[in-house]
Amino acid sequence: MRLPGTLLAAVLALGCPAAQAFETPVPTFVEETAASGVQHSFTGEWEFMVGGGVATFDCDGDRMPDMLLAGGTSPARFYRNASAPGSALTFEAQASGLELDMVSGAYPLDVDSDGATDIVLLRVGENVVMRGLGGCRFERANEKFGFDGGDAWSTALAATWEKGAQFPTIAIGNYIDRAQDAFPWGSCTDNWLHRPMGEERKFAPPLPLKPSFCALSMLFTDWNRSGMPSLRVSNDREYYKGGQEQLWRIDPGKPPVPYGPKDGWKPLKIWGMGIASTDLDGDGYPEYFLTSMADNKLQTLAAKPADSAPKATFSDVAFAKGVTVHRPYTGDEVKPSTAWHAQFEDVNNDGLADLFVAKGNVSDMPDFAKKDPNNLLLQKPDGTFEEAGEAAGVASVETGRGAALADFNLDGQVDLVVVNRNGRTQLWRNLDAGSGNWVGLELRQPAPNVDAVGAWVEVRCGGHTTRREITVGGGHAGGQLGWIHFGLGAEAKADVRVLWPDGSQGEWQPVEAGGFYELVRGQAPRRWAPGR
Amino acid sequence: MRLLRTVWIVVVVALCGTTLAFAQQPASEPARSRDALIIWHRLVLELVRHTATYSPPVASRAFAYLGVTAFEAVATGSDGLYSLAGQLNGLTLVPARGPGLTYDSAVVVQAAMAHAAARLFANTGPTGQRALKVMAKRAGADAALGVPEAVVRRSEDHGRAVAEHILAWAATDGGAVIENMGFPLDYKLTEGPAHWVPTNLIRQQQVPLLPGWGRTRTFAMPDGAACGLPPPPAYSEAPDSQFYREALEVRDTVNNLTDEQRAIARFWSDDPMLSPTPPGHWISIAIDALEKENADLPTSAETLVRLGVTLADAFIGCWHSKFEYDLVRPLTYIRRVIDPKWEAILNTPPFPEYPSGHSTQSGAAATVLSEVFGPAYAFDDGTHEDDGLPVRSYPSFWAAAEEAGISRLYGGIHFRSAIERGLDQGRCIGAYANALRTRN
Repeated sequence: MRLPGTLLAAVLALGCPAAQAFETPVPTFVEETAASGVQHSFTGEWEFMVGGGVATFDCDGDRMPDMLLAGGTSPARFYRNASAPGSALTFEAQASGLELDMVSGAYPLDVDSDGATDIVLLRVGENVVMRGLGGCRFERANEKFGFDGGDAWSTALAATWEKGAQFPTIAIGNYIDRAQDAFPWGSCTDNWLHRPMGEERKFAPPLPLKPSFCALSMLFTDWNRSGMPSLRVSNDREYYKGGQEQLWRIDPGKPPVPYGPKDGWKPLKIWGMGIASTDLDGDGYPEYFLTSMADNKLQTLAAKPADSAPKATFSDVAFAKGVTVHRPYTGDEVKPSTAWHAQFEDVNNDGLADLFVAKGNVSDMPDFAKKDPNNLLLQKPDGTFEEAGEAAGVASVETGRGAALADFNLDGQVDLVVVNRNGRTQLWRNLDAGSGNWVGLELRQPAPNVDAVGAWVEVRCGGHTTRREITVGGGHAGGQLGWIHFGLGAEAKADVRVLWPDGSQGEWQPVEAGGFYELVRGQAPRRWAPGR
Repeated sequence: MRLLRTVWIVVVVALCGTTLAFAQQPASEPARSRDALIIWHRLVLELVRHTATYSPPVASRAFAYLGVTAFEAVATGSDGLYSLAGQLNGLTLVPARGPGLTYDSAVVVQAAMAHAAARLFANTGPTGQRALKVMAKRAGADAALGVPEAVVRRSEDHGRAVAEHILAWAATDGGAVIENMGFPLDYKLTEGPAHWVPTNLIRQQQVPLLPGWGRTRTFAMPDGAACGLPPPPAYSEAPDSQFYREALEVRDTVNNLTDEQRAIARFWSDDPMLSPTPPGHWISIAIDALEKENADLPTSAETLVRLGVTLADAFIGCWHSKFEYDLVRPLTYIRRVIDPKWEAILNTPPFPEYPSGHSTQSGAAATVLSEVFGPAYAFDDGTHEDDGLPVRSYPSFWAAAEEAGISRLYGGIHFRSAIERGLDQGRCIGAYANALRTRN
């Protein structure tokens, strides 16, 4: 029997006098790690104190998210999604060609736009682009694509298609100079920008992004809705000297230029580890959640002038919105938290983006909490958030790193996988996302950039418009490619439109709740059902 | 790369192994002792920056205990140095060296510093732990170069015994345990417009840092109240009041900063977790001066212990006054009374305003260093070169201290009275450290 989330929350509240009363429907996640078939750990010591990403994507054509888990000193592990629609989460380990060691993270990206998703492996050592061959088989493609994988401690990735380009631009974030193993402070190595080689379908030698400050997350994002994404870089202040958070202007055909004070950019120095973004307040501009240690940040544009482009000045609204999540909310530890992967998804289908944050001590860091539960922050109608990790069942105190929220069994409810360092990867199935409706969307356009990275998808219903930017990057060391989930609340229908990466604007088109739709450029939404 | 450069001298020697060891004549015992003293202080400057509990007061405490450890370790083998036992509050005589036995002071100091640093920074992260272990191994090998094995073992045991004695003493001072990076879980703000309220949107900092630090046991001065201050100017929102005028001065100064004033504010900002902190800044200055002067071992040891002790006492005395008066910060007052949109250029620290901590501890440091190097000792300060801030030059330690003080007004985080009286408080506190007897 399914209990609606709100009812379940009420039952829990009655059963336990101290239980928290929630203002939003609390989803019910059930851990299915043991039965899922996923048995994996991200292992390693110093060189793998960061990383541990997970990539979710479909590689066998069933449209269900498969996944690759970074392994650190263990081989990366690929799991094919064998779940029946609407049923328990079931994965099968399968040889894929992706099983390299020293992998810290992975991002899916159709580099050659052939319709078969490729995977970029971030490694301690040489980064490798693995070309999708179909049927969840992959082959090394560094030479084919002209991709210089270098030799560094790589920890972040973001990708975009610059205007007119046939090939993507990939930014790689690098961390400490690992040769400085005893005294690494101040030894951040250069990040790289892999741009296309002219009109060719291969990469030019990478440009160093100087200065670099030990990036742990990167995101190409159109922060000012100029139509040209900039590169947001979140950096770990533990290791840089003279550094700060960064935003790079990446104009096609021009050298990258960091935003500075004259652009309104203000220095922010945090233990930057992950980036999540979405348009939380409905103003058309994305907000950015930046994970760190102790207080986390939620940035919104400080000013949005009606008659001019906004300056790159951001205000921190984490405190006001209730998402500082600076210390454990379970147990009795009074020490601050350590946050890694973050992701906005509507986990209770009420039409409001919620926020998941993976937590875990770096490694024997006694000043910070050892038992640090993951956060599940549900957005309330007033735009603030409430913590529901424990009530929802995802408050694991394992040592979290990477994570992904994705609808693994295509039941319209967002599930969860969390990679733990030197601990077992955990999976949770969302059994009850509440009574809200939903729609799943997938974008498709002719090559290049078949997945429309850089597009914006808008969903209009109930007098509100929610929108999401399609990005490859952010999070902590892992990303997702596949269905884009929108909760619709009580609405049975919605209108959707796509603002394509080249700036062209699709028509508003109707969709019905409870369905998956392919949004193919120039065509009407095409409904798709699992199992067909 | 100032630290790395120094550290890698040790590393290279260690890595080159026996070939280099045989090829080189080991340095003299005092020279090796001094190297151990300096290199551990340099490593600790990094550890302070990278250990989250090490806010400025906590950092000053570590410098004090390390300084005492090193001094006492040296003094046990020196006829010229006079122990601080009985002079510093609660310190008893450290274990003596065995009569008639041979020790190597460099190995003693190295072992004592390695042991004390590892314990004082037991809470540093994985990278700091690696650095501590590597430094202990490589600097230990360097200190022991050419020393007979039996003497090395005996000297290491003695060094650790001295450190243990100091650490046991440290454990009783009331400042050994820092929870939640120093921010209490429960704290009631003082009511009224004159008093401190949070100045930022960091959830952890909605209460002040270390409100009880003023009760920590002092080192050379009797207690935290020994160099107390008169009250700050009476709180007032009247435009003709001194309080308002001082606030207006901060507002106007910040709004019309020259490039030089801005550079000064940045140079002395010394933010925790982004720098070696204000006390570390003065330790860095002292180390540079000792190296420049090629100071001998006794001078180096007594300089670092006097400086460490006075920096720690300065933070205790300053915090005692801060929570005695619990004064509102300029950011709060100016926004409330003068200009709602006003912004300081530095982040306002999360604790009460009066007096200025940087001023108090800089005054104390200048008092001590002027006594050692002279009142007109000119020096260059390259503490922040690694962070891209250029070297600044000063005609004296007091000139630097006064600039450190006024930097807080340029930064918009202190009123003038807090700076001037902070320097006065530092002068008073520094005199206690200068009064310590260190020579026979």
